[in-house]
Amino acid sequence: MKMLEIKNLHATIDGKEILRGIDLTVNAGEVHAIMGPNGAGKSTLSNVLAGREGYDITKGEIIYKDENLLELAPEERAQRGVFLAFQYPVEIPGVSNIYLLKAALNAVRKYQGLDEVDAIDFLTLVRSKMELVKMDEQFLHRSVNEGFSGGEKKRNEILQMALLEPTLAILDETDSGLDIDALKVVAEGVNALRGEDRSIVMITHYQRLLDYIVPDFVHVLSEGRIVKSGDKNLAKELEKSGYSWAKEPVGLPA
Amino acid sequence: MKQLTEFHTDFISVAEMRRENGLPDETWRRLRKLGQAQFAQKGLPGKKDEDWKYTSLWHLSQQSFNHDVAQPGHVVVSDWQLLNDAYQLVIVDGHVDFTASSLSSLPDGVTVKPLSQSLEQAAPYLNQQIFLEKTGFNALNTMLMSEGVFIHVAAGVKLKKPIELLVVNSGVTEDLAVHLRNVVVLEESAQASFVEIYASKEGVTGLTDVITEVNLAASAELFHYKLQRESLAHFHVATMAAKQAESSQWHNHNISLGAQLARNDIHSDLLGERSHVTMNGLYLVDGQQHVDNHSRIDHTVPNTTSDELYKGVLDGQSHAVFNGKVMVYKDAQKTDANQANKNLLLSRGCEIDSKPEMEIYADDVKCGHGSAVGQIDESALFFLRARGLSETSARSLLTFAFAADVIQRVEDPAIRDAITRVIEQRLPRS
Repeated sequence: MKMLEIKNLHATIDGKEILRGIDLTVNAGEVHAIMGPNGAGKSTLSNVLAGREGYDITKGEIIYKDENLLELAPEERAQRGVFLAFQYPVEIPGVSNIYLLKAALNAVRKYQGLDEVDAIDFLTLVRSKMELVKMDEQFLHRSVNEGFSGGEKKRNEILQMALLEPTLAILDETDSGLDIDALKVVAEGVNALRGEDRSIVMITHYQRLLDYIVPDFVHVLSEGRIVKSGDKNLAKELEKSGYSWAKEPVGLPA
Repeated sequence: MKQLTEFHTDFISVAEMRRENGLPDETWRRLRKLGQAQFAQKGLPGKKDEDWKYTSLWHLSQQSFNHDVAQPGHVVVSDWQLLNDAYQLVIVDGHVDFTASSLSSLPDGVTVKPLSQSLEQAAPYLNQQIFLEKTGFNALNTMLMSEGVFIHVAAGVKLKKPIELLVVNSGVTEDLAVHLRNVVVLEESAQASFVEIYASKEGVTGLTDVITEVNLAASAELFHYKLQRESLAHFHVATMAAKQAESSQWHNHNISLGAQLARNDIHSDLLGERSHVTMNGLYLVDGQQHVDNHSRIDHTVPNTTSDELYKGVLDGQSHAVFNGKVMVYKDAQKTDANQANKNLLLSRGCEIDSKPEMEIYADDVKCGHGSAVGQIDESALFFLRARGLSETSARSLLTFAFAADVIQRVEDPAIRDAITRVIEQRLPRS
């Protein structure tokens, strides 16, 4: 089953074209890695998928589970199971983590026609998910990401993902700023979510993350286009050769 | 169009009547006369008055007010009360509603009575914390005050249960003006919580003119909360002023949600060493609302502290004014004073005039002040929406979060929760 289909996607910001014809199909159960140098359009792609304002889609379309994703507001995408793990998770002083988690879960449940989650069930559920990402319970009562270390912020993103159980998870540079232990914890959290009815798109600059979350497919994004696709071995090649070749239209490695 | 002088005469004739009818107490008659003389001479403040530069009384002056109530209306106390468990004095349309009030089983050493029944007891404390000459409203209140609450807590008595004053305009009498004076006296080492609530249903018109005078003896501690949620057609002019002896603490929380025009003057005189004042404020305004908070803290002796945080959320075409003045006298060494005003602007049409001021004449002090104006953080908004919250809920949540630290400063958890509920109701919901 097709989970996500991106067809000839062009996007501009302030009149500057960042995405210049992206084609990508992600089937249910697959894990895709999108790699590329700085400025290739990786973050633009994840933002456009999640519905951030400020981008003009000049051409192309995005189909998510038979729906036109571009016509949906960010919250409608989230309610339908699209989850973006932010590269830079936002600090929200005054909003406790537990409040956010509950509000987010209830928003998804409401869309699914379910009742709001019972307070005790919710706590039990959150605790089990926190164990998964090895987060202490005190983080529940702190303001969202306020004063969290880089690693804690990323784990907090994975906690939200684990709780919301999205069908399409987009991880935007989730590995950046993580030490190896934190990376392992985050990877475990993501791997626990892998399943037949879920798809994961990982956007990353480095190959390192892919040692822990092994992708089914690897794509190289450069100057707004996917210039090469392959399996996990492509990432290894990239590690050796770098991205400099990707900017040249000719001379791709064999 | 009505002239300002006509507006004055309206009020003075009422004052004449009030002075002649009733009031056997000579102190009161004298005080009212002084008030009247002052009001007749000075009248209401105008734009030339620095303290009223950003707040126009034009609409107020165009209004005719009624002072006589044929029959006070009936209100459902549970609609407005903040606390379920409190000693309660209910004033409806300027008159005490004894059936609705609950003042029984007060502990020994605690007096909570209507002002009209405490004329003699209250007299020595009247006009001690305010200056007649300072503003026409002090004079107006002095010549017309007719009710209020008198609270006296004897030395060493620590009152657990809060005292709640509920002032409601029922709307039965149109354009009703009510002039109230509250007196709170805490003797040495006494402790109490006092909640003032001013309320009326939407559409009700009138003026609430109230002064609360607070007298704190050495080591006394007062937790003082004010919640103003009057109709958007109402006028509200209020003062809370305290004199503080050594080691006394006044924790003042001032929440302003209603009224077309709301003006609060909050003043603390720190007269004894180690005395402390907290001034904590929150205003939420929308539409054509105008709110003006003027605070003043006088650090007159060494080793006193003050901590002031006022936050505002402005929407629609609303206008807010914050003017906070901290005075540190020459002898007031080791003063520790902090003052901040922060505003969240939700629309293009709203306006804030923020003026934090410090005048420091001592040289060994720790003083800081600041003012900030901001908007909803767009990246936080997107983050919440990307987690499934509707735009309306996300905006409400961020607005509430902005106000959260003011609410967190409320010491009593029951009062904090009650205030939280009232504020949540004011936020747009999805």
